[in-house]
Amino acid sequence: MHKLWLVLKREYLVRVRTKAFILSTILLPAFSIGMFAFQAYMATRVNDHTLRLAILDETGELGDSIAQRLTSKLKNGLPAYQVTKVVSRPSAAEQDAVRGEVEHGSLDAFLSIPDGVLSGEGSAELHARNTAQAGNHDALDDAVNDAVIAQRLHQRGVNVEDVSQLVRGVEVKLMKVSAQGEAEEKGQTFFAALAVAMVLYLTVLIYGVSTMRSVIEEKSTRVIELLVASVRPVYLMLGKIMGVAAVGLTQYLIWGALGVLIAAYGATVASMFGQGASFSGIHLPWDIAIYMTVFFLCGYFLYASLYAAVGAMVSNEQEMQQVQMPVTFLIVAAFFCFNIIMRDPNSPLSVGLSMIPFFSPILMVLRIAMQPPPFWQIGLSIAISVLCTAAVIYFAARIYRVGVLMYGKRPSLVELTRWLRYT
Amino acid sequence: MQNGTAVSVAGVTKRFDTVTAVDNLSLSVKEGSVYGLLGPNGAGKTTTLRMILRITIPDSGSIHMLGRPQDDSTQDFIGYLPEERGLYPRMKVREVLLFLAGLKGLSDSEARHRVDEWLERLEIATWADRKVIDLSKGMQQKVQFIAAVIHRPPVLILDEPFSGLDPVNATIIKDIMLELRQKGATIILSTHRMEQVEMMCDAICLINKGQSVLEGELAAIKRSYGKNTIRIEYAGDGDFLNQPDLIQSVNHFGAVTEAKLAQGADPQALLKAAVERGIRINHFELIEPPLNDIFIEKVSQAHA
Repeated sequence: MHKLWLVLKREYLVRVRTKAFILSTILLPAFSIGMFAFQAYMATRVNDHTLRLAILDETGELGDSIAQRLTSKLKNGLPAYQVTKVVSRPSAAEQDAVRGEVEHGSLDAFLSIPDGVLSGEGSAELHARNTAQAGNHDALDDAVNDAVIAQRLHQRGVNVEDVSQLVRGVEVKLMKVSAQGEAEEKGQTFFAALAVAMVLYLTVLIYGVSTMRSVIEEKSTRVIELLVASVRPVYLMLGKIMGVAAVGLTQYLIWGALGVLIAAYGATVASMFGQGASFSGIHLPWDIAIYMTVFFLCGYFLYASLYAAVGAMVSNEQEMQQVQMPVTFLIVAAFFCFNIIMRDPNSPLSVGLSMIPFFSPILMVLRIAMQPPPFWQIGLSIAISVLCTAAVIYFAARIYRVGVLMYGKRPSLVELTRWLRYT
Repeated sequence: MQNGTAVSVAGVTKRFDTVTAVDNLSLSVKEGSVYGLLGPNGAGKTTTLRMILRITIPDSGSIHMLGRPQDDSTQDFIGYLPEERGLYPRMKVREVLLFLAGLKGLSDSEARHRVDEWLERLEIATWADRKVIDLSKGMQQKVQFIAAVIHRPPVLILDEPFSGLDPVNATIIKDIMLELRQKGATIILSTHRMEQVEMMCDAICLINKGQSVLEGELAAIKRSYGKNTIRIEYAGDGDFLNQPDLIQSVNHFGAVTEAKLAQGADPQALLKAAVERGIRINHFELIEPPLNDIFIEKVSQAHA
């Protein structure tokens, strides 16, 4: 056991000291936060200019009413719209003059209201030089609609104030029901689940492949001969896999700590960019963090053993590319099931997929994050994963034991089955 | 425990698929001796060594280390210098040695102490904190040798220990080997260099096609062949050696020539023939056959 610990320790220390580890641990979250901050910042940038607007009103009744309703403000506090002039029943010459002003840039856009809008014919048009700047014109839509409706009601002699009281809408909020009580759903469950499953999928894949490379390195440098003269191959393989797992957990821990920091201070930071709400909406509950760790260990040990066996079968990196394909295919297939699970996490198909040995570590976590399934399903999935992992470790160790000492031609399937039977 | 048995291999067989790599092999290595394991390429030497090292497990037969049946713990009794050298290229020299010493059961503090001592002795102390990849091949070889001896193993298995070493370094390693033997270590030497075996080994085992074809004390083996070879140094035409009734085979080394006498031939007759032809004889000695010839004879017999 002491020797297994030494192998684990070496594997761990060698890895966490590499530049690649330090960079990926720091850069990945930094990059994600950077991207988020950049997007948040860009979102505020898009409309930070007041839209200078002329209104060409052919009805002669709506122009001022619309202008009065354009009171919305930009995120930086400036008014969104500035109506420079309202032209009632414009002549062709007046229209050309306004169009010219937009072309030359003394105006940003003009709004033309056709004669028939009050009777429901034709539509209002917003003519802009930069359509991207004028692109988000919900406030303008509302203003035109409100003005038209108010004018119609007024024409029928209805009191506009009364009506707006009567037709005030009701908002339907989406709530997520869970054991912890109810919380308002703004898409955070969906994204958190996807994020959790993606992190699991990527780390299992990345650390699995990393284990394989480590096996190949010991084989190609021939240091393996010295190692197996001191340690039983199964301890060597397990020590290596655990060492790499410890690296993965270290990375999780660092990212987790960063996540807690972001949850605590992120909203403050994000509010500087005006998007505070999005940050505070996503957080990782403790039970999901624990399940994630359990399933990460299962999934990782499962795939890392497979990858270690592949590493032992080949003599160099070129051969590795071909032999690892079936293993990588398995894990990518799990990734392609994400869609099915996310559409309906409790459908019979989803339940079935989350019980398939090589898929369950990743897919069950996704289900738990989406909508906690009955505990017996989680338990069964863990049991299946653990049993499957134990079986894979057993067979992988037998292949590893023989493979690490074999050079030259990689084994056929028939030869592999013979390896399993060697004393 | 003087003259006990360090390693005993009894009736060991190992098969890989259809190939029988080692076939009912037995050998016994006396404690404190230098034992040569010889054989042509592919004879089963590496498989035999790997079974003694418990890297591979025999299909049948038994192996005892220092009188104990082989198990995982007996691995620590052995220091190993594999023929295919290799260390972690991107680890520092000291770290690699500490790791390998730990795997042989040495405590960290003791290992640190001994690593520094050995690096000093082999004159590579200044490289202790450099990466293995930065070292020359000869220096890497010395580091690998330290890894084999650092835990003071009672049994040392050295596979071609001098290959790739210059004469100065080869002498340093040879002196250390003899010193360790003086202190009671048993050394199993696997090599193709017969002159090294002749100079260093007390006993040998010659393996061919997985079987032991010759085993025992080197002196006794050579004695059993009798003095049937002439070592000769001469100046002039070598034609006089071309007498089938006197000489069975000739082996030219340049300065020295070794000639195996035909059955019942008189060495005096050869000397006479040389003198008659005016050949200048600088050295003429009746010797036991060189191990090289015994090796070739034994192996080619098996192929005939």
